[in-house]
Amino acid sequence: MSYEAIAVLMFSTFMLLLLTGQRVFGAIGFVTAVFALALWGEGAIEMPFASTITLLNWYPMLTLPMFVYMGYMLSESGIANDLYRMFHVWTGPMRGGLAVGTILLMVAISAMNGLSVAGMAIGATIAMPELLKRGYDKIMVTGVIQAGSTLGIMIPPSVVLVLYGMIARQPVGQLWLAGVGPGLLLATLFILYIVIRCHFQPHLGPPLPREEREQISWGEKIRLLQAGVLPLLIVFSMTGLFVMGVTSMVESSAMGALAATLVALFKGRITRKVMEDTLRKSLAVSAMFMWIILAALAFGAVFDGLGAVKAIEILFLEKWGLEPWQVLLLMQVTYLIMGTFLDDTAMLIIVAPLYIPLIISLGFNPIWYGILYTITCQIAYITPPFGYNLFLMRAMAPKEVTLIDIYKSIIPFVLIMLLGLVLVIIFPEIALWLPNHVYVK
Amino acid sequence: MNAKAMPGFIKAYVRYVDAVNGVLGYVVMYLALVMMGLLLFASITRYVFNVPFVWIIEMAQFLMAAYYILGGGYSMQLDAHVRMDVLYERWKPKTRAFMDSLTAFFLVFYLAIMVYGGFSSSTYSLKYNQTNYSAWAPPMAPIKIIMTVGIALMLLQAIAIFFRDLAKVTGREIA
Repeated sequence: MSYEAIAVLMFSTFMLLLLTGQRVFGAIGFVTAVFALALWGEGAIEMPFASTITLLNWYPMLTLPMFVYMGYMLSESGIANDLYRMFHVWTGPMRGGLAVGTILLMVAISAMNGLSVAGMAIGATIAMPELLKRGYDKIMVTGVIQAGSTLGIMIPPSVVLVLYGMIARQPVGQLWLAGVGPGLLLATLFILYIVIRCHFQPHLGPPLPREEREQISWGEKIRLLQAGVLPLLIVFSMTGLFVMGVTSMVESSAMGALAATLVALFKGRITRKVMEDTLRKSLAVSAMFMWIILAALAFGAVFDGLGAVKAIEILFLEKWGLEPWQVLLLMQVTYLIMGTFLDDTAMLIIVAPLYIPLIISLGFNPIWYGILYTITCQIAYITPPFGYNLFLMRAMAPKEVTLIDIYKSIIPFVLIMLLGLVLVIIFPEIALWLPNHVYVK
Repeated sequence: MNAKAMPGFIKAYVRYVDAVNGVLGYVVMYLALVMMGLLLFASITRYVFNVPFVWIIEMAQFLMAAYYILGGGYSMQLDAHVRMDVLYERWKPKTRAFMDSLTAFFLVFYLAIMVYGGFSSSTYSLKYNQTNYSAWAPPMAPIKIIMTVGIALMLLQAIAIFFRDLAKVTGREIA
């Protein structure tokens, strides 16, 4: 059996095992251990364990538990409730305004956290019930929350870009800055879609009724703007200090975690129970991510041993005779297809090492490619049948939202994200202008 | 004694493993705060007092390894690990327990290989006083032993969960 055939067999066995519903890390780890032993015998028995040492020495990984903790702390702190109130009052009077406000809320949450999960939790628990109560179309609302939460991994800080930076050996600071433009672009496209759609179909997102608007005085409206101050302070203590070079990336994530804790403390939200719940959930989610990464690293090492990187290069360039641009597009298409079936963290760790060397040798900018990769990951994150969002939405959304609603709701937003992807491919400046501007000086 | 119950030694095993991992998880979850403290301390000493401590960040890395591995058993108790639920979602609880009791083999096999690898890697580090390839160059044996113990506890937890699923499938009592 040729090595290519073994690689294909390994990948398909893994996909098949996933269908049994066993924990993703267990399925990846099992396939890895069996193939390593079958290929290289007893000498390979330490291979799965060896990835713990790789992970140990990936020091930017420390940002992961910090961001997870921070995400839970933010939702406990009540910052999100205040921010929602602010957007509710300011954007509510226009058609679809509450949905626009929700996207803006997600942008703010994304700037304070590096994971998609935080935005999803906050959107589904705080914004969603309010929007449904005011007669917004449930499919529209469900889509808005899911699409908005994907901004979490694009607008800095971003854990996905940290992982990409480690795999591609690219500076995470530049990657984070490169995410700003495309993240805001996507947010703008989402908002345009909501405004245009609700303009023509007002029943999808009715404006706040006059009586409710008149109850709120201008003084109250101005006072609510203060809700924006604390998030700005958090963003400054984290991303601001990092870009200014005061703190390192890992330290900045700890700064953010501290800032979120202080805000929660200041608002009197911290009790023993809140603290314990936050720490328990943080451990659970961090362990979940870390174990997938650990198993996927070992899987990647076996793949590497099979010479899969070289095999893909030969396949794309020599056998199929593709042009660099065709290779790039083909890679994005394979990501999109795999992303619908695979866990996105596992996909990043297994597939990215195969593609990145080729991307660099073809002369593409690896920072820009990281952004393309992240947009693709965002799409993978919300497309069924496998997506954390489905997992989470079902758990968090009100009962009246069915699985079919969740599936239907993402269609327009996936199309918008594909448009965003194409725009960033055609105009790399959207991503690269900011990092070039900041780092050249 | 109830005829429809799991054997006593299995019940005792499940109870002890759950208790040990539960207590360990409760302690380990506070490491998040310790890591945070270390990283903040590192930024203050470096920026304010201009004294860089190379060991702080590395210490935090070691703590992170202990955090997710020693906390692994507890995270399994909390059922925090994602599954591809396209089919799993549609099954009845009993069908899920049945599939899980079959596929528990994958998890147990993987974790057993990890424990074996951890054990042999720890022995190697002890024998040759292996140090990490870094400026601080701390010995590797302690963290490897901690990780091996943590993975072994996860293995015990995976087996305990297997017994629970088995009890559910055969309709016997286990608590």
